[in-house]
Amino acid sequence: MTKASLATVWLDGCSGCHMSFLDMDGRLLDIAGRANLVYSPLVDIKEFPRNVDVTLVEGAVSNEDDLEKIKMVRSRTRILVSLGDCAVTSNVPGLRNPYGPAPLLQRAYIENVTINPQLPGPLVPALLAESRPVHKIVDVDVFLPGCPPSADQIFWVVDELLAGRIPDTATMSRFGT
Amino acid sequence: MPDDIGGDLVSVRTLVIDGLDVAGNDDQTILEVARENSIPIPTLCHLDGISDVGACRLCVVEVAGSNKLLAACVTTVQEGMSVITNSPRLHEYRRTTIEMLFMERNHVCSVCVANNHCELQRLAKQLGLTHFDLPPLEPIVEVDASHERFVIDHNRCILCTRCVRICDEIEGAHTWDIFDRGTGCRVITDMGTPWGESTTCTSCGKCVQVCPTGALFEKGRSVAEAKPRRRFIPYLRELEQESK
Amino acid sequence: MSEIIIDPVTRIEGHSRISIQLDEQGQVVDAHFHVTQFRGFERICQGRPFHEMPSLMARICGICPVSHLIASAKACEEVMAVSIPPVAVRLRRVMNLAQIVQSHALSFFHLSSPDLLLGFDADAAGRNFFGVAEAAPQLALDGVAMRKFGQQIIERLGGKRVHPGWIVPGGVSRPLAAEQRDEILAGVPDALERIRRTLGWYKANVARWVDEASAFANFPTLYMGLVHENGNIGYSDGDMRVVDGNGRLLADHRDPRPYWEYLGESVEPWSYLKSTYWKEFGYPDGLYRVGPLARLNVVDRLGTPEADDELQLYRDRLGRYPASSFYYHHARLIEILHCIHSIAENLSDPGILDDRVRAVAEPNRPEGVGVSEAPRGTLLHHYRVDENGSVQWANLIIATGHNNMAMNRGVLEVARKYVRGTQIPEGMLNRVEAVIRCFDPCLSCSTHAIGEMPLKVQLLGADGRVLDELAR
Repeated sequence: MTKASLATVWLDGCSGCHMSFLDMDGRLLDIAGRANLVYSPLVDIKEFPRNVDVTLVEGAVSNEDDLEKIKMVRSRTRILVSLGDCAVTSNVPGLRNPYGPAPLLQRAYIENVTINPQLPGPLVPALLAESRPVHKIVDVDVFLPGCPPSADQIFWVVDELLAGRIPDTATMSRFGT
Repeated sequence: MPDDIGGDLVSVRTLVIDGLDVAGNDDQTILEVARENSIPIPTLCHLDGISDVGACRLCVVEVAGSNKLLAACVTTVQEGMSVITNSPRLHEYRRTTIEMLFMERNHVCSVCVANNHCELQRLAKQLGLTHFDLPPLEPIVEVDASHERFVIDHNRCILCTRCVRICDEIEGAHTWDIFDRGTGCRVITDMGTPWGESTTCTSCGKCVQVCPTGALFEKGRSVAEAKPRRRFIPYLRELEQESK
Repeated sequence: MSEIIIDPVTRIEGHSRISIQLDEQGQVVDAHFHVTQFRGFERICQGRPFHEMPSLMARICGICPVSHLIASAKACEEVMAVSIPPVAVRLRRVMNLAQIVQSHALSFFHLSSPDLLLGFDADAAGRNFFGVAEAAPQLALDGVAMRKFGQQIIERLGGKRVHPGWIVPGGVSRPLAAEQRDEILAGVPDALERIRRTLGWYKANVARWVDEASAFANFPTLYMGLVHENGNIGYSDGDMRVVDGNGRLLADHRDPRPYWEYLGESVEPWSYLKSTYWKEFGYPDGLYRVGPLARLNVVDRLGTPEADDELQLYRDRLGRYPASSFYYHHARLIEILHCIHSIAENLSDPGILDDRVRAVAEPNRPEGVGVSEAPRGTLLHHYRVDENGSVQWANLIIATGHNNMAMNRGVLEVARKYVRGTQIPEGMLNRVEAVIRCFDPCLSCSTHAIGEMPLKVQLLGADGRVLDELAR
């Protein structure tokens, strides 16, 4: 029986959901026995493969690179999971939305600078007008809110998906915790 | 049965809620009778001890003979009423209500003072909301921290008006009131002066205790540290009524 | 002129690319480390009541939220004009030490050990933590256990492993219970056994990495870190000490809080990460490093016997002020050892269960700076708050940011050594990334944002033709 393919991706988040994923501790090696981690910040495969069974996506869609990446990931994934509040609601990255990117860039790169004040670019990706949850850009199959969701919750979701079931997360997790 | 049998007496009404035969007094609401019979109806702007206003629309129920959904907290029971408190349609409407509340302003649970103690957050979980499809408004709204002890963060206000009612009906100061309409609607202190400059506020803190979200809170509270205390309210209301 | 782009850098925290520019002869002339994300915490906190700052700032990073909780709380305490209860200082210290253990374990085991154990040239498909688990199960299990040890302490103290809201302005939100203390202490012997085994493995294998050790960002810089009055390592407390590559003191027993006096920040258009520099030497000469390598260089000693023995062995072998960034790996292991001992020591303090854990005050000063050592280096939070307690402005200087210039130079140095001509062996690319991994950068932190991307390397000739291409 071929092992399922599992991938993890981080967009605009803090990597806390990935840390919570690792907080599965020993169960991680257990998962590794049932699925190949075919793409992840933790492994060196540099191109997102095709026909991935399950992808966990952490982080909001906040810049041009995130946007391009999530579309590509969606087109190559069977089941996409929005992992954590940033992916589900845009959470903290979304705090900038009422104001737009300009005041943030101004504070960081013009005001709080000793020499050479300037806005970075074009070799770095431009910020989108708003930081958006993943499902506003692509279809999402499973939502797991939390900041971060606990390792137990993440394990349960992955476990269910690898067993061929779509987990119902409706009353499991709440925003913010 | 006759509707009134003289001056001080109340009359009993019989009705059906979710197929159960129940009875209530003619001055009771559907919500009260349902609760007396352990039939749960979700609420947000309702609070035992203060008046009901039907602001949040979460407690809407289906009543036979009406094509409109009625707010259970402000609808008096009638003889022969047939009420449904839970159906797929009601569930969907309640979910949409909560979703609209989240999308109207800026609610970021993870970094909110009321995280884990918030009625809006709890209802989202109870109603199975895992994400939001409606477009967010993301308005720029104010934080008034001018009061010595308390803060109002309008990003988290859902305009339930509990603060208005508790301050008027229990404390008697009527510091809080409502201003403007639609997306411009705000709860305000006095005539729209900063809270710290209010001449009516007694700093009793009741509004903070009854706020269902993290909009009203005590200074010095960090994220997830707001823990409202509400047990005093029914007692004050009882005392008030006894003294009449 | 042609250019190679390495996109993304994997097995680090955060989003980045590396670009390498070559001349017509195929020799490397320049290289850059581009950090490609930004969230703007210095602005989104504006208008928030300052009591919310620690938990908001924790969201800068999911690996080291504790660092931000501490630095932020300290900045708030300056605004409050309070000294927090001694037991709160100690409890925070314990959580910080636990964080260093788990973060260093992540860096060493999950992120870097694939290169060290399997080799920099190992097949990319298996060159990861799971490959390590297959080839050296004990090493992998030790890594998982060490990370768990640190995370469980954080959870026991603060209620959650990631983003515990327990650290607040004024102290901590609840005292430590005796059962929790005992549970933590019970885990210490096992943790020590594992780090000793890992240190033993590392030291037994150093000969394999001689080449990389000599090439990986091996140049003299200044070194900065917090040190206690007595010369012991400071971590969450202490004053600043800065030394150069020969041990000359440029600053000692110095209050780190008025950072604008000694640090400058510069923007380069090709990265969202600003470059911090030692003001006295100007930009770009004011190059310095922070983090494990730098800390071991600036301190007299760590302060626990076994770790100080290891530190002495380290210095005997590498010199008093080792300059190669490769030795960050060794320094990290020694710090883990010290932190475990220090956790046990602090928890054995008779006052550790005191219940006066929080000072209460509203704003009494308009401004505050909080400084603490994150796993990756010195971290500073600076806030201005109005009389109502609303944050007006913030500036953050983040650990990895101090290392930006050194990382850029490191990338150039490694590229020069390993990149040549029209062939690009995959292991070469990996080595360019591996020098970044030595620093264990936290790029979410450093630009207060993160991200990720795939890697494709193209070697373009001067006429734009693709000479060679590598994708992984």
